Amino acid sequence: MIKHKNYTTPALTLVAILFATFSYTAVADSLSDSLIFEQGGFRLSQKTQEGGTVKDRLTQDGIQKVCSKLGAASVDSNTAASVTSMARESIKKPAGGIKLGDWKKGEAVARSGYGFRVGHKTDDHSKREAGGNCYACHQLDPNEIAFGTLGPSLTGYGKLRGTGEPILNYAYEVIYNPHVYFPCTHMPRFGHNNVLTGQQISDVMAYLFDSASPVNQ
Amino acid sequence: MFNRTLLVLPVVLAFAATASADPSMAPEEVLQSLIDKVDSKYLTQSSQNIMMMPDNPAYWVAEEGEELFMEKRGPKNASLEGCDFGKGPGVLEGAYTEMPRYFADTGKVMDLESRLVHCMMTLQGFSKKDAAIKKRHGSGSDMMKLQTYIGSLSNGYAWNPPMDHPMETAMRDAGKELFYRRAGTLDFSCNTCHGDTGKRIRASVLPNINVPEEWTKAISWPAFRVGHDNVRSSQHRVRGCYWQMRQGRIEATSDASIALISYWTDAARGQPAILPDMKR
Repeated sequence: MIKHKNYTTPALTLVAILFATFSYTAVADSLSDSLIFEQGGFRLSQKTQEGGTVKDRLTQDGIQKVCSKLGAASVDSNTAASVTSMARESIKKPAGGIKLGDWKKGEAVARSGYGFRVGHKTDDHSKREAGGNCYACHQLDPNEIAFGTLGPSLTGYGKLRGTGEPILNYAYEVIYNPHVYFPCTHMPRFGHNNVLTGQQISDVMAYLFDSASPVNQ
Repeated sequence: MFNRTLLVLPVVLAFAATASADPSMAPEEVLQSLIDKVDSKYLTQSSQNIMMMPDNPAYWVAEEGEELFMEKRGPKNASLEGCDFGKGPGVLEGAYTEMPRYFADTGKVMDLESRLVHCMMTLQGFSKKDAAIKKRHGSGSDMMKLQTYIGSLSNGYAWNPPMDHPMETAMRDAGKELFYRRAGTLDFSCNTCHGDTGKRIRASVLPNINVPEEWTKAISWPAFRVGHDNVRSSQHRVRGCYWQMRQGRIEATSDASIALISYWTDAARGQPAILPDMKR
């Protein structure tokens, strides 16, 4: 009944103990996956804003799986190569080329942490658009003191780099799927995971690059 | 006089060397002992909270919890003094810092909340539909009053969850996998925010699981959350993190939640608990 591919002996013992206690209904790749998907760990059938369920949210894609395996270790060259190539394949460019939108709208996106939360309270996207929450991790406007430090400071981003096609292309790709340049980064894939719309990405890019944006003052 | 000092000195040094596990210390003194040991922006981020700790509103909640614990309640008209939290029926001192642990009577690894629910059902006869069990959150809930009381009797004790039974290690190891498991809209795992020292989300300094002196404060629940104006539990923290990670709702006291709590408690092993704590 239990068909595990790569279980070592201690893992088999654990599975046997847990089998006796929890009564498995199907086969999972690991005990943690079993606790999530088979042992009632999460409210899997709850609907999500994008039209799926919590089960879909918890099901890992390639990059999530590979990067999770690292644990506390930093990325090795084989993992980096595989993640970078998965990321490269995912990039979709806007049909009319990369354009800067409205920096004021981009600022609102950068400040808002609303969206995609599901559970005891669930965000309603029909009432309020989801944000990008850039400030949770990055410094942007030098006058904003409540900025996070998980990511690098982006203050003066456009002022320091200009607005040439290569840098716009690079910034777009980092926002769309940062694993192209930073395999197994902590940064979300805002384009690939449909966190932000194409328009929102272009507004955030205006916030980074527009000479009138507070980021560049 | 000089001789006397010399005699006392080795004793003092020995005491200091065995870290700061000392149940006679107040929670703010436990925290201060950690601040003295490590340079941590997380531990020192709110001088206001540290100042307020002697008047922690959680003390009132614990006091109410003590009354509830001793009171004969439920369909079976029994107190919780017969409840075994791992060190024998009614033994609460240092019991919480040795949880989650495997309980032979249920054949399961249980955390404080799940053990409490188990005792309220078996000893007192409450059902899952009764408010006493159903209402898990808020300073006014029986659950938080009881957890705050029981937790406070482990203040200053070193975290020491047993790893003797294979289920205990299996749950801890599964919890580690969960901790590093990236999923959801934003690809986050617990490690996204808790794998580094001194990093911030907005203005909040985050605790690092790899620094036990920092991590003990992070897991010292029940704690009064100033921003919530309520005492909060470990299970509440776990639920909040998954919600913020956009990974849906983890079920209260599910094995997944207990596995995660087993891992995070193991990571603070040896460091003294701050109970009740006060957090931003």
